[in-house]
Amino acid sequence: MFEFLAYEFMQRALITAFFVGGVCSWLGVFVVLRGLAFIGAGTAHAAFAGVALAYLLQVPPLLLAIAFGVLTAWAAGLLEEKGRMKLDVSIGILFTSTMAMAILFIGLIKAYSAEVYSYLFGSILSVTPSEMKIIVLLSIVVVATLLAFSKEFYFIAFDQDMAESSGIPARPLFFLMLTLIAITVVLSLKAIGAMLVFAMLLIPASTAYQLTHSLSRMTRISIAIGIVTAIAGVLLSYWFDLPSGPTTVLLQTTLFFIALILPQRHTGRSTTN
Amino acid sequence: MLTNRAKEQPRRVIAFSNATYTLSHTPALEEVSLNINEGEFVGIIGPNGSGKTTILRAILGLVLPQTGTMQIFDCACENLRCYHRARIGYLPQKGKIDRNFPITVFETVLMGRYGVRGLFHQSGKEDRTIALQALEDVGMRDFKNYPFGQLSGGQQQRIFIARALAQQPQVLLLDEPTTGIDTTTQHTILELIRRLHRELQLTILLVTHDINLISPFVDRLVLLNTRLFANGHPCDVLQHNILSQVYGDEIIVTDNGYVIGGDSHHE
Repeated sequence: MFEFLAYEFMQRALITAFFVGGVCSWLGVFVVLRGLAFIGAGTAHAAFAGVALAYLLQVPPLLLAIAFGVLTAWAAGLLEEKGRMKLDVSIGILFTSTMAMAILFIGLIKAYSAEVYSYLFGSILSVTPSEMKIIVLLSIVVVATLLAFSKEFYFIAFDQDMAESSGIPARPLFFLMLTLIAITVVLSLKAIGAMLVFAMLLIPASTAYQLTHSLSRMTRISIAIGIVTAIAGVLLSYWFDLPSGPTTVLLQTTLFFIALILPQRHTGRSTTN
Repeated sequence: MLTNRAKEQPRRVIAFSNATYTLSHTPALEEVSLNINEGEFVGIIGPNGSGKTTILRAILGLVLPQTGTMQIFDCACENLRCYHRARIGYLPQKGKIDRNFPITVFETVLMGRYGVRGLFHQSGKEDRTIALQALEDVGMRDFKNYPFGQLSGGQQQRIFIARALAQQPQVLLLDEPTTGIDTTTQHTILELIRRLHRELQLTILLVTHDINLISPFVDRLVLLNTRLFANGHPCDVLQHNILSQVYGDEIIVTDNGYVIGGDSHHE
């Protein structure tokens, strides 16, 4: 039953699942608390457009994916700040226009390239050794940044105005948070795919959100769900010949609904003035 | 004024001098000159959109003057991270707080220490002691482990005041601290602010649309409507000929200084 551990592609898939599942669900805590879910989705499609352009230009996809992702995340952040239009409208426009770019670039690629589609739907079993190294490296960068600024990110998520007025460089840190979202999306692209990476950011954290009133517990539960479901997704996809990305996401969704119907989380005694 | 100056020279902590602030191409404050001295309790009144919140944001350095100057503690730098700003505690207008946000009362107050400590510093024992003391000061120490979202509006407001106190400020800026709270609690909150003003020797600027609620508490009232219309003791400001310039002729000031009509802009 565990003969798969001998296969190098399976070793790589499991290591990748561990890092992608862990990083997405950790950063996801801030994405959920700060209300950046749609920015995450928009960024994923932009990063995919970057990958498509890289295939068109025949250059390595990583840098273009990060560039597209970061620019879109920042643009969304600026739109949120300016607030000239409702955020769902402006993000919706970014979201669809980057997708249009991706489809345009793919259309322009002369040769048929199935490989591009692996970034759209994810293919964790085909992660190469060099891709895995990049995923691990970027994961460490994201986690180190999260650790360094966790209290500020927490404060920004709670109330950005108040954080700003307390002398915290809230605006630069907000854009750093957006950058981390873009990097995380890009590092997860090959493993999970642009269509579903959004779920990896959102579902474990929002499941944990329903279960506890404590940030540290919410973070721990979210990471545990992220890692366990990502690894389970790889194993189920190996044993039952299923695509791993959707398997992982559907496992997470199941846990989300279980948390939803569980009895309400512990609340403090109700009080009056 | 002259007699006051003869007694002792009060230390000036905030000084606006002909300062004009523009927000998205419309002036929010025009040529405002205003001095605030150490230990004063000043109420800032005016209708909606009169620049009341802007004047607080200006003191915090979140908006900068187009013309004129604004000095805090005799420092006119435009650097938002200037260390002087850490000595200003701020209670923003009640915003949308996610009631389910995973945070306890104590953690909320501890956030007041983050800006003081700076980046890359974890909160230490001293920060915890200060945060606990701030909770004690607002009479909410027993609630320290409660989820913040479970508190009533008045209690949340006290916690936010404690959060501002945890910065160990010299100046406290309060933006509509009594809005959306029932009348009894409004008085409790104002009594608390008055007590903090005395016990901690704080300089306090309180912005409100509720003239009658605040006038018994403050040393000075400032009447704003983009420009500064009046600045003085509540008895001198709460006059029909002064208030009518801003609120219109219908405003009534009774003999005991009660204002009817200026408070009609409830949100």
